Amino acid sequence: MSNKKVGSVLVLGAGIAGIQSSLDLANSGFKVYLLEQTPAIGGVMAQLDKTFPTNDCAMCIVSPKLVDCGRHPNIEIITNAELGKVMGEAGNFKVEVRKNPRYVDEDKCTGCAACTQNCPVSIALYPVEKISIILRKDDTIKVDAILEEYKDKPGNLMPILQSISKEYNYLPEDVLKYISQELDISLTKIYQIATFYNAFSLQPKGKYTINVCFGTACYIKGGNRILEAFERELGVTMGNTTEDLMFGLETISCFGCCGQAPVVTVNEDIYGHFRVTQVPKLIKKYREVESAENNA
Amino acid sequence: MAYRCNVLLCTCTMCVSVGALKIRNKLEEEIKKYNLEDEVQIILTGSSWLCTKGPTLIVQPDDVVYQFLKEKDIPNLVEEHLLKGRPVPSLMYIDPEELNPIEKLQDIPFYHDQRLIALWNRGIIDPDEIDEYIARDGYKALAKVLQDMTPEDVIQEIKDSGLRGRGGGGFPTGMKWEFCRKNPGSPKYLICNADEGDPGAFMDRSIIEADPHSLIEGMLVAAYAIGAEKGYIYVRSEYPLAIKRLDGAIIKAREYGLLGKGVFGSDFNFDMEIFRGAGAFVCGEETSLIHSIEGEPAEPRQRPPFPVERGLWENPTNINNVETLSCLPRIINFGAKWFAGIGTEKSKGTKVFSLAGKINNAGLVEVPMGITLREMVFKIGGGIPNRKKFKAVQTGGPSGGVIPESMLDLPIDYERIQEAGAIMGSGGMIVMDEDDCMVDVARYFIEFTRDESCGKCSSCREGLDAMYEILTNICKGKGKEGDIEFLEELGEAIINASMCGLGKSAPNPVLTSIRHFKDEYIAHIRDKICPAKSCVELIEYSIDQEKCTGCFICNVNCPTNAIIGEKKKPQTIDKSKCIKCSVCKEVCRFDAIKVE
Ligand SMILES: Cc1cc2nc3c(=O)[nH]c(=O)nc-3n(C[C@H](O)[C@H](O)[C@H](O)COP(=O)(O)O)c2cc1C
Ligand code: SF4
Ligand code: SF4
Ligand code: SF4
Ligand code: SF4
Ligand code: FES
Ligand code: FES
Repeated sequence: MSNKKVGSVLVLGAGIAGIQSSLDLANSGFKVYLLEQTPAIGGVMAQLDKTFPTNDCAMCIVSPKLVDCGRHPNIEIITNAELGKVMGEAGNFKVEVRKNPRYVDEDKCTGCAACTQNCPVSIALYPVEKISIILRKDDTIKVDAILEEYKDKPGNLMPILQSISKEYNYLPEDVLKYISQELDISLTKIYQIATFYNAFSLQPKGKYTINVCFGTACYIKGGNRILEAFERELGVTMGNTTEDLMFGLETISCFGCCGQAPVVTVNEDIYGHFRVTQVPKLIKKYREVESAENNA
Repeated sequence: MAYRCNVLLCTCTMCVSVGALKIRNKLEEEIKKYNLEDEVQIILTGSSWLCTKGPTLIVQPDDVVYQFLKEKDIPNLVEEHLLKGRPVPSLMYIDPEELNPIEKLQDIPFYHDQRLIALWNRGIIDPDEIDEYIARDGYKALAKVLQDMTPEDVIQEIKDSGLRGRGGGGFPTGMKWEFCRKNPGSPKYLICNADEGDPGAFMDRSIIEADPHSLIEGMLVAAYAIGAEKGYIYVRSEYPLAIKRLDGAIIKAREYGLLGKGVFGSDFNFDMEIFRGAGAFVCGEETSLIHSIEGEPAEPRQRPPFPVERGLWENPTNINNVETLSCLPRIINFGAKWFAGIGTEKSKGTKVFSLAGKINNAGLVEVPMGITLREMVFKIGGGIPNRKKFKAVQTGGPSGGVIPESMLDLPIDYERIQEAGAIMGSGGMIVMDEDDCMVDVARYFIEFTRDESCGKCSSCREGLDAMYEILTNICKGKGKEGDIEFLEELGEAIINASMCGLGKSAPNPVLTSIRHFKDEYIAHIRDKICPAKSCVELIEYSIDQEKCTGCFICNVNCPTNAIIGEKKKPQTIDKSKCIKCSVCKEVCRFDAIKVE
């Protein structure tokens, strides 16, 4: 039995374990052949968002290793391939590897991915199912009017969402779907923008939006205490709306009224030099306005 | 018809917030009552005077200032001053040191050391009246540029003036224009960055509200120099009044042929459009702002290519701040030499600051570069209210840092402020006193940038989150040995590894406060005390039995009924019920609530 060790290792499977093993081995001087069945290395971890238990971003952990692996002079990656016969014994194996065809010249492909979007097979296999969205009649009129105004402008999504938000006080889901359908913009992109900006909300907002300024000047003059007082008074936390949809509680980073800090606004009304003790009075005032309106 | 006297009433967002519109109605009513309509004219101006003392008004030609006006003061004021010509001392500005009323505007120290270039017209003209702007040499610079200067001349003039970007970076404006002009791409765009996201800053809002035509004229000059025919003004949505005034001003300028095809009858075409932001700090970053206008997710991108090479719709785009643009008419009118004569060697001209926080005269201040922070805080700002001790000034907002008392003699200059670890920034200047905890303020800024990070770079997104957690723990008295060193290391890493200016500068508030106030960090971590008595978890409320008169006000107002005692007898606080809301401290008129 020959016990002669050769200086190379075959690692099966290029998931996070395989990649790490390959890197460790390659760093200690072994030539590594990293075999992977799928067309790309990375495995399951590359598809995860966060990892347990630390909630670290999966891609952040694995992507530097992918790059290291791809660049390492001691690692040869063999993807799209399967292991056939294994011969020999510990210390000196011989294996047969079956490489599946890729149908693309690997030396020439730059990975631009233009072909994947145009592939007729995948388009035929996974046709995008379009459910047509029909809004209520008055909504259709309102939304169509907004769309008409901005239809042909480049970069119209922001002003459209701003107008919708002004009209409804939030961005209703079916309206967003309708916009996606009418303008042929993907819903994902609309959501990406709708959730990026603080001014947009996907939840219905209260009739009165209370904004507590959290700019620096207001913060050092006790803005956080005012916020806490509103939270106590209304029984909702920041970013939420009371159950009767009367008051929404939000913070904003500076109204540009820092000279009057701390500042609170309720819809369009601005209150400067605000004091914690004014909180109950202010709520009472708007509740009274409301009940007067209801009685009238 | 000539009026005998003008009443200039400030109606900026701030003064409106304390009732300026009610004052206007009352004034009109009273003036009518005495049949003075033909003699006295009310002019509604934009943000101008001592913002903390609003509502304010000035009576011209006597130049008498009145502050803290209430509706009930108006009848007396109209009768005494406007009718009988006798100024009313009880409503005038009171000097915080001397405690005597000061009558004339020029005599108030707050104005004395200011020099107005960007704010040339502040509080003097009605921002909604283009003719008032024109009467103060408005659009003269535009005429001069169109008639007598080539775009290259304009660029040279601005280069000679030494003007640097007021948006925070301090990049020489003339150079940026030249890059943009020389780029072969077309059409070119001009964007004005009015997305003043820095919390605690209100310069750009005030300039637009007080004098929108200065900005429009500045944009016309810049557009002519770089060769742009289309401009955008990116205004944040939190500024409805500024948007309204600007909108009105643009419409007027179009009517007067100052915008559109063939400006002033020349062959230069330029028009502009307002684009409203939607509340994202990172949109102030230029590439992010461009993405936002394009309707893309507003994440920054790698630079280079810079916007002057590849910007809006992939075309060369020049982005300037509101203040940078608003200086231009004066530089053209008075010449580069005049402007370069003001300021320090490398920082020319004036800078507008929004002075706020624990300061007597908060407001908008325009000063020549090179004056010291001490003059700013104690002379112009009138010092700290309530005889408290000065602790630090914060400049540059979430990208800047704190400057301690020992460095107050630092002149205001891009390079010198940077040496102190802070930045000039866009001009937010927040004064803090002994009651402000530096660790908590650092935590506050990290909380802000953590929330506003777009999330593209992991160093910025995850790193700021980690910093926030450590700082929160320190504020709660759960800090550990080694936290300070770790914060420093993490801060450096975030600065080095992040892509855009947000991540690259976000750790600054922490790093500077560690540099200048390390002992406060140590007190929190080692001794579990907050020297400023601000961190809620490290303080307790109690009542001074000597001082308490038993007035019972605190007892009634305490939200958790934590205050016990009989009427007219000293009260005590049940610490198990107290939630440290500070209501009792706010309502007690006898200073009997102790915080330890
Ligand atoms: C996170 C971040 C926020 C910014 N916010 C603003 C802003 O609110 N206003 C502004 O004028 N510039 C802001 N800037 C600077 C701009 O990117 C840009 O440098 C500036 O508008 C250029 O104009 P200037 O040369 O006239 O200064 C910001 C930069 C960063 C990185
Ligand atoms: S289209 Fe792009 S990804 Fe597809 S084979 Fe060609 S170069 Fe490669
Ligand atoms: S540094 Fe922060 S804000 Fe800037 S691009 Fe990176 S993640 Fe976004
Ligand atoms: S408000 Fe002040 S003086 Fe009055 S009972 Fe309370 S602690 Fe005593
Ligand atoms: S701090 Fe608030 S909860 Fe505590 S005693 Fe004072 S009022 Fe009551
Ligand atoms: S956060 Fe997903 S790439 Fe790192
Ligand atoms: S910090 Fe509150 S208005 Fe500016």
